Amino acid sequence: MGALRLIASRLGMALLTMWLLSSAVFLALRLLPGDPAALVLGDLAEERERAALRAKLHLDRPLPRQYAIFVRGMVTGDLGPSLRQPGIGAFTRVRNALPPTARLAGAAVGLGALGGVGAALLSVGPWLRRGRRWVELAGIALGATPLLALAPVATYLLAVRLRLVPLPGDPSAGAGGLLFASGLLALPLGAHVARIGRAALLELGKAPFLSVARAKGASQARVWILHALPAASAPVVAVVATQLGALLGGAVVLERLFERPGLGTLILEAYASRDLPVLEAAVIASGVLFVATQTTAAAVHALIDPRARSS
Amino acid sequence: MALLGAAPAVGVVFLSVGVALLSERSPTRLELERAWAPPSVALPLGAGEAGVDLLAALAHGTTRALLLALAVVAFGFMTGTPLGAAAGMAGGSRATALARACDLVQSFPSFLLALAVLAAVRSPGRIHIGLVFCVTAWAPFARLALLQATVLRGAAFVEAARALGASRFRILLRHVLPNLLGPVAVQCGSAAGAVVLGEAALGFLGLGPRDGVSLGALLEQGTAGMLRAPHVLISSALAVAAVSGSLQLASESLRRAVGGQDDRLE
Repeated sequence: MGALRLIASRLGMALLTMWLLSSAVFLALRLLPGDPAALVLGDLAEERERAALRAKLHLDRPLPRQYAIFVRGMVTGDLGPSLRQPGIGAFTRVRNALPPTARLAGAAVGLGALGGVGAALLSVGPWLRRGRRWVELAGIALGATPLLALAPVATYLLAVRLRLVPLPGDPSAGAGGLLFASGLLALPLGAHVARIGRAALLELGKAPFLSVARAKGASQARVWILHALPAASAPVVAVVATQLGALLGGAVVLERLFERPGLGTLILEAYASRDLPVLEAAVIASGVLFVATQTTAAAVHALIDPRARSS
Repeated sequence: MALLGAAPAVGVVFLSVGVALLSERSPTRLELERAWAPPSVALPLGAGEAGVDLLAALAHGTTRALLLALAVVAFGFMTGTPLGAAAGMAGGSRATALARACDLVQSFPSFLLALAVLAAVRSPGRIHIGLVFCVTAWAPFARLALLQATVLRGAAFVEAARALGASRFRILLRHVLPNLLGPVAVQCGSAAGAVVLGEAALGFLGLGPRDGVSLGALLEQGTAGMLRAPHVLISSALAVAAVSGSLQLASESLRRAVGGQDDRLE
């Protein structure tokens, strides 16, 4: 069973990645110069207050002991209470921040996958004739435009100047804001999906089974959508799942771009207020989402496409 | 064709370095009375928050981002390539181990790591950003060199050198490395583009250098002031797009010229 072995080794890699990331986060916040207690309380705080905070964060224990406490907290899902909202556990704040992030990432990836597969079909199918080249060029141009530059400019033009769409961060905009933000995000994602899908479809274009379908009198739409598309789906599924992971893990920049709430906003908030338990929990949760989606993607890819198992 | 594709990147480098070095404009001098001033003869791109000269700020920010990219990419290229080539020549378990290590590093959420490290530093600077990027920068180069070396290992001229009694080190240095340098080097452009974007993203989040001379920080200014002074947003967004887009274009056209592999297609 090649697929099962691959999934098992992927799972091992995912656990290793998570262990490395969480240990790096643990060490980064403890080994780097500067007293975390001073960072949290400011330079003017009294030594007594700092000592109390250090004791609360277990910073007064030896490092191996701190690490043991940290690992136990990771496993039991309890990294201590938030410093800024005492009484609320760090992981609880993370859990509350997850739904908006998941909604944005899910909508963006869904729109991107639909648009990208559609564009890939249009760029290889016979429907557009000359226009096929333009679909491909538009995809390349979109893929090369960084979202970091595109998103604020598009927000300015469409939401501020033309007032065609609501501001993506406006809480009263509801679904409209979500749709605009995810639609914008979907552009580069869709361009990437289209590129991969096009390459896979072109490779299949001359395959005998498509000629058979054509010989049986199937329409062009039937040949491309029912016969070619499923055979080309494995790399597309892999790309889409990787994108989902990247969006969940990269929520920090996205949510700042669109000024929307979520896991990324929580990370920035915890960073700005030096809420160390929440920062640890949120960064690790972000990493878990990122790695878990990537691992699932590899497993699904291996299940669909036997060729992916060989490496 | 390849040179034509590299032309925009060369233009961006000359323009930003030229303005940064030759003009007297300071990227940090603030004049409150000209805050958010629109473009004029004295200020070709206008002024940003607190009256910073946008032309100077963009030129210096781009230059520093390019220097950071140069350092990170040079480190990644010089460590990753020999590592990948040596493992590819050795083959067997060592090649598999390196491939797995690359998998691990490339699936590592390095942006989150950068965030955690920068959060712990009192005043983050480009040096910290560069160090974090260096942790993962070698992996794409090692992977590409590994692939190329695995192919070259079976080539007739390598076999001939082995038959002539050349040592493994000599074969690696004189026969394998020169032949894979080209295809691996074309990766530099897209890697540099990624570093520039990563630095801009960190600057946008407010985790960049304290002096605020960075593309990301200017983009953040533009976003915050888009109602008052859209020129700040437009020019900084165009700068970010031009730098990363031109580097990607150069990398892509050089790749086609050398006939290298497209790593994004797996």
